[in-house]
Amino acid sequence: MTSNRQPAPRIHDAVELAAIARRLRRRVISLVAPSGQGYVQQGLGAADLFAVLYFSELRLDPADPQWPERDRFLLSTAHNTAIFYGTLVERGCLPEAGLASYCHDGSAFEINASERLGSVIEATCGSLGQGLSVGVGMALASRRHRRPNRIHVLLGDGELQEGQVWEAALAAGSHGLANLCVTLDWNAMQVGGHVDGVVRMEPVGAKWQSFGFHVIDLDGHDIPALLSAYEAARGQQLRPTCIVARTLVGKGVASLEGIMSHNLKLPPETARLALIELGEASAS
Amino acid sequence: MTTSSQQPDLTVSDFITRGPAPVPRLYGEALVRAAIDDPRIVCLCADLPGSTETDLFRDQLPDRFIEAGIAEANMIGMAAGMARCGDVPFVHSFGVFVSRRCFDQIANQVAYPRLPVKIAGFLPGLTTMLGVSHQAIDDVAMLRALPNMTIIEPAGPEQLAGAVAAALAVDGPVYLRLKRPESAIADLKSRPIPIDEPGELLREGSDGTIFASGILVGEALKASRMLAQQNRSVAVVAITRLKPLDAEFVLRHCKTGSVVVTAENHSVIGGLGSAVAEILLEGGASVGFARVGVRDTFAEGGSTSYLQAKYGLLAGDIVAAFERAAARRTTV
Repeated sequence: MTSNRQPAPRIHDAVELAAIARRLRRRVISLVAPSGQGYVQQGLGAADLFAVLYFSELRLDPADPQWPERDRFLLSTAHNTAIFYGTLVERGCLPEAGLASYCHDGSAFEINASERLGSVIEATCGSLGQGLSVGVGMALASRRHRRPNRIHVLLGDGELQEGQVWEAALAAGSHGLANLCVTLDWNAMQVGGHVDGVVRMEPVGAKWQSFGFHVIDLDGHDIPALLSAYEAARGQQLRPTCIVARTLVGKGVASLEGIMSHNLKLPPETARLALIELGEASAS
Repeated sequence: MTTSSQQPDLTVSDFITRGPAPVPRLYGEALVRAAIDDPRIVCLCADLPGSTETDLFRDQLPDRFIEAGIAEANMIGMAAGMARCGDVPFVHSFGVFVSRRCFDQIANQVAYPRLPVKIAGFLPGLTTMLGVSHQAIDDVAMLRALPNMTIIEPAGPEQLAGAVAAALAVDGPVYLRLKRPESAIADLKSRPIPIDEPGELLREGSDGTIFASGILVGEALKASRMLAQQNRSVAVVAITRLKPLDAEFVLRHCKTGSVVVTAENHSVIGGLGSAVAEILLEGGASVGFARVGVRDTFAEGGSTSYLQAKYGLLAGDIVAAFERAAARRTTV
């Protein structure tokens, strides 16, 4: 059951989405460059996920952020805001002018996204491990109220070390929440380095599968594969979906790709060259 | 498995020494009644349906009942998600678990966004033979420190049903600290919990005031009668809303130069005693002061009467505290 109201652009053209992703990466660099503060590597790595989610998959109405039948998106890793804010602005959900105050005292554009920004932030996450529980509650409520919307939760990989994630995963599988889709941004990086060097997480897909999820393991930069995965998730009748998206930190900027730095302070010269690179790169 | 007030309940134990007669299930019945009237109400429980009386809800309104399993942190998050979709969730467990295990979840997902999530915690203070792991001696201290929280504790079984209405009267998060009766109660007349004030004056007195909460309210009334035999006229005020605790209300019930004693089934640190002390000091009240409560110690499992006697939560302890405070009283 879907509503006739479908304000999302629903872009299915991978070339167009790649161009959007490139614009989002430029926004990440531009947002972080003035202060050097913000999550650059994670933002660049997740740009393709955000492009597909916000410009193809999520049913939203930027003019009516509280539309009851909107799809809900929860960024459980709420620190990943350079890409999140950039996406919300690019999609028309937040005003462009607000970005100038990013990280300034008094600004609602904090490093951790909070609902000070209004209802485009569906829950204030950031204390890691909490987003999926909220998403499970939303999915249960949507199902009981017979709303056609879907609930999306973006989780980090290191975040899976929080036990609450697995409490929520058990609940989602147990209740057969087919309207719930987890996107796991597997960039393999946490503060202490490579996730498997901190706490071994693999085989991660098998874990989600054993909790009752339909699991799709893919290259998180393969836009056609992402489009197919979300379509497959929508087709699920009995199980929630977990898309394990293998991403590369710093993706799209040659000098930053693969550099494992959770709190990278972006040097001005690197930012300048990155913007040139992202402006000149052709769609891929 | 439906149980009612008329049938012995053979399926449920929360390790309280109960009498042989069935005890009334006042909270659970009130919640079902409220939910029949208000379709926004949903009920979540962390594998304690009998002990939290939510089996009644489960059996009568199964579509609106979520068994969260033994996963309290996730239960709070789920409730927050449901509240963000228009529901009014009542979540249930023992008080010790929903406070200690879920503090961060309550802070970020319930209190900060001021969601209408009503958190019911049973087995307050020293009221279970299960022991330290199940005794909520610091739940009020923790949740009182969270902005936007309201904390309500009925003064006795007669206010258990009213806890539901009191929680619904608050447009935001509420912690209900609930003590189920341990025996059948003849001719129980339910009384509402005051909505506009944090408590009520139960007994007048001119020499001092006892502010009491929960099961210590009955002890405070007893203590007041004992003190009356010594020609001390001591008022008793039941505090049913521990937060927000209006300074004006507390100061109105304290006479300058008199004695104030607090009595609670909770640690003396951070609960009612601390809240009243903060108000008295900031209000410039010149009174003698003493707290009755769990004195910064872990306890042990036991019957409620045994634990109250051993850990100083009886009327005699309140009388002794009153005398200590009276002896120390100075005029500033």
